[in-house]
Amino acid sequence: MIDVVNISKQYGAIQALDNISFEIEEGSCFGVVGPNGAGKSTLMKILSGILLEFKGDMLLNDHSVAKERMYIKKRIGYIPQEICLEETLSARDNMILFGKLYGLSGKKLQDRMESVLEQIGLSDRSKDKVTTFSGGMKRRLNIGCALLHEPDVVIMDEPTVGIDPQSRNSIFTIIEQLKASGSTIIYSSHYMEEVENLCDSIGLIDKGQLVEFGAMNELLERHAAPSLFVAGGSIDHDMLAPFGSPVEKGDGFVLTSDSPLDTLEQLVSRFREDGIDPRRLELYRPRLEDIFFHLTGTQLRDA
Amino acid sequence: MWAIARTELKKNIQDIGLWFWTFVLPIIFIVAFVAIFKGDESASYQEVVTQIIPGYTVMFAFFIMISMVIAFVKDRERGMVARIASTPLPIKDYFIGKWIPFMMIVLIQITVLLTFGVLVYDLALGDPIALITLSLALAFIVTGFGMAMAVLVKTENMGIALTQVIALGGALLGGLWMPVEIMPDYVQTISQMLPQYWALEGYKEIILQDGGVSDIWKPLLILVGAGAAGGILAYAAYPRFLRQSRS
Repeated sequence: MIDVVNISKQYGAIQALDNISFEIEEGSCFGVVGPNGAGKSTLMKILSGILLEFKGDMLLNDHSVAKERMYIKKRIGYIPQEICLEETLSARDNMILFGKLYGLSGKKLQDRMESVLEQIGLSDRSKDKVTTFSGGMKRRLNIGCALLHEPDVVIMDEPTVGIDPQSRNSIFTIIEQLKASGSTIIYSSHYMEEVENLCDSIGLIDKGQLVEFGAMNELLERHAAPSLFVAGGSIDHDMLAPFGSPVEKGDGFVLTSDSPLDTLEQLVSRFREDGIDPRRLELYRPRLEDIFFHLTGTQLRDA
Repeated sequence: MWAIARTELKKNIQDIGLWFWTFVLPIIFIVAFVAIFKGDESASYQEVVTQIIPGYTVMFAFFIMISMVIAFVKDRERGMVARIASTPLPIKDYFIGKWIPFMMIVLIQITVLLTFGVLVYDLALGDPIALITLSLALAFIVTGFGMAMAVLVKTENMGIALTQVIALGGALLGGLWMPVEIMPDYVQTISQMLPQYWALEGYKEIILQDGGVSDIWKPLLILVGAGAAGGILAYAAYPRFLRQSRS
């Protein structure tokens, strides 16, 4: 169990994190979501024991990151947003470096290296220099270096930034394997779909504050009303207003109403009467992005 | 600590620039300047080689600071400092691990250049214990200064520029290029504030006066003290260095 208790962090006049508290169940995947600059990376650095000065605490199985930093660091695998590898050295040399930093040596280190290289799909490239790797391969090695010591908690800060879909999928496979093995994962991203698909519970951060947290279904129940999506050439806000609360989204409108099926029928009748042929008219499954908009009035991608 | 040292050493061995600055360029300078000054009638051959070979050895030892600045600034800009800070490695072990390879490189550099002096110019080295002790002190101060500079500078270019000011300015004012005795009085006063001056004084004492460790206590004390100050400054500046790390 991870207990985050009243964490605050200030950089000069900027309040990067403001009194953040939440809990993460052991073996679950917790998503930290927010726009760029929301404070996600600062939170990740505090949870992984990198930042030395902050207020509040994080407890991992009742051990405090503020007081027992070394204990926490041994149990956490931190995967930073940047690719932190020695690029002029081989994948194997990088793994030896990080393995030894986590206290592994000898046969144990060799065995773990073989196992992790297999897991990240780089066994056949282990002796090659990292400079010869693609962006996706570097990302996978970046992850592998944090898994050597079999951490209880894996902290991933935007691990899929700037990579191709194939590499992204292989990273998702690694995450699914970690989940299956019982690791607790803290996953930060501004890609909503990733978080929705991977995470059991989610914390939404905006301007250094935790605006909401809970299981995805709970959040949807709490904050996302049933809706329709309507799009078409002559359909505008004024036309939809009598049927509910239309909000422009992409090339159409999300129309929130208490009874979407009834509203759907009414819209079909209205369109038939007026001879309007909508390009899209469908039940809309609210997304994390809609919850964020509902809570902050800001689109995640625009923030 | 040893994992960091091993990695840093491997990276440095692959760095062709480091080989050039550390071994090739100093030898070119020594050969060129001995050729120019050996015909000088005002100084004996032994005085010329004792001025030039240890002088350029001390001067080029300071250039290790460039490699240290590049190594630390790269670590900071790639987020490696934060990544390593997320592991259980204590801060002091990070610094010691980074420091050991550079200390080794400077010691090898001093050995190569002085051996070159012995083999090519019949440089008489004097008491080996005193020589090793002074060389350790020289390696300690240049790497101590290098670590402080590497942690404090904002950019790689700033570090390289400052290293050149320290190495070349210190060489000029510290008497590495010409004996301080022929310089104006006020320059001689400034010289005595520079580590380069004390390093050369130490080598001259060992080589020309056949001095032992007890005869070079003052240069040793100054070099080790200044090197330790550099190391402490780097350690104290670590939280700021970590804050500036990407990731």
